[in-house]
Amino acid sequence: MIAVLFDGIVYGLQLSLLAVGLTLIFGLGGVLNLAHGQFAVIAAIFTWLLMGKGVVAPVAAGLGILIAGVVGLIIDRLLLLPAYRLKGDSRLLLALMLTLGLAFVIEGGITYRFPQAELSLLLPIPMIKVLGVVIRTASLVVALGSILVLLSLLLFLKRTGLGKAIRSIIQNEEGAELCGIDPARMRTLIFIFGSLIAGLVGITQGLSASLGPQAGFELTIFALIVAVVGGVRSINGTLAAGILLGVVHAFTSYFVGAYMTYIILLATAIFTVLIRPSGLFGRWT
Amino acid sequence: MIRVEGIETSYGEVNILRDVSLEVGEEEVVAVIGCNGAGKTTLLRTIAGLLRPRKGRILYEGMRLDRLPAHKIARLGIVYVPAERELFPQMTVRENLELGAYATIASKAVGEQLKIVFDLFPRLKERQRQFAGTLSGGEQQMVAISRGLMSKPKLLVLDEPSTGLAPLLVTEMYRQLHQLREEGLTILLAEQQVAMALSLAYRAYVLENGQITHHGNSRDLLKDPELKKAYLGIA
Repeated sequence: MIAVLFDGIVYGLQLSLLAVGLTLIFGLGGVLNLAHGQFAVIAAIFTWLLMGKGVVAPVAAGLGILIAGVVGLIIDRLLLLPAYRLKGDSRLLLALMLTLGLAFVIEGGITYRFPQAELSLLLPIPMIKVLGVVIRTASLVVALGSILVLLSLLLFLKRTGLGKAIRSIIQNEEGAELCGIDPARMRTLIFIFGSLIAGLVGITQGLSASLGPQAGFELTIFALIVAVVGGVRSINGTLAAGILLGVVHAFTSYFVGAYMTYIILLATAIFTVLIRPSGLFGRWT
Repeated sequence: MIRVEGIETSYGEVNILRDVSLEVGEEEVVAVIGCNGAGKTTLLRTIAGLLRPRKGRILYEGMRLDRLPAHKIARLGIVYVPAERELFPQMTVRENLELGAYATIASKAVGEQLKIVFDLFPRLKERQRQFAGTLSGGEQQMVAISRGLMSKPKLLVLDEPSTGLAPLLVTEMYRQLHQLREEGLTILLAEQQVAMALSLAYRAYVLENGQITHHGNSRDLLKDPELKKAYLGIA
């Protein structure tokens, strides 16, 4: 039971990482990136390719994450440009179509070129005993790493000047512009940042489980659910929602079966939207 | 310092401003007065770069402003304080103020600027840890003006600083604006409270239906029988 709970938390933390990126990109750019999970796939598959060429795992993983960031930059500056020219709902809708198309292209391309690709990283010490419970070392590393990244992200947004400038755009874009802050530049920065974090999730998925070319959509959908449950503009809420849904996911997969988890996760999301339309904490960050 | 030459700004098909020209000199305080809907806010938003004029140009120290995005204009030292204030509601007063200086001032100089605005509005010093969204209308207006002052602006563009304030607070706000004027700050303000605006400004322009109909010294405008009737409610 504790093992299932722990697995749920580990998975949930990774969903939080993905959802935070999604949330920040939405808050700054007014765009829901339906290709978000594909950035995890890009990082994972490049890492797999590089390791196949004999590059050691940490270096390959670092390069894989970097490539996800570079692809993010290109997408923000080229593909989404027509969407950014629009405002409000039309921007959101055009960007939905553009990123959905991108997701298909990335998934199709990678599946076609590397049908056998599968990132599965193994640590030298497979098991470890913590407080009397035997758990996989990889899961522990992933959990601690995710918490570290999420906490530094929160501190960065709450404490640093750049972080406050980013939050100011989410709270009032015009006000930020009047302070001399360039929303387009910050948006690009956050898009790259979100892509890097998604890339990191590709690696942590490879550590705690495995990741193939077709994992992208599931990650995007779960991240979207987490973002909705957490409140699409709240960072703290996203963190909590990720862990909650990760645990729900683990228990339903364990006791009921994988097919039911989608339904139960969606039901959780719908329930949250019905009782707290602005998310778990219902406040903007 | 800043010269607006024959600008026309429209929302969609409707022309809001028609051939509007005005000028503000160094250390001058200039008012734009007119009724609700005359186009005052449109004029100021065009100067701030939030709207693009269809015709005409805006020159600031010989440089064209009308093609620049709002954040670049703000960095040049032309700071617009909108009537809606546009604060960051989920951040503290202090964070709001610091963001006013974020893009323009070296971080070392921020403390000094904070001291200046806290001297001007001591109330904000007491409230500095409170979220801006929880303040009263008057306090929010103080934050908006102070956030603008944080960047040591060359020109402060104020849109209806009296909006939504109780009469007593309006008088108080104008006392602070008079102090800024004495310190040599260049101000362009739009106002419906004509008497207040004319007591602060040296010169004023009257905007009616998107056109400048009168302009001149505040003292002369106050004597103009037509304007007295229209804006001051005196026959």
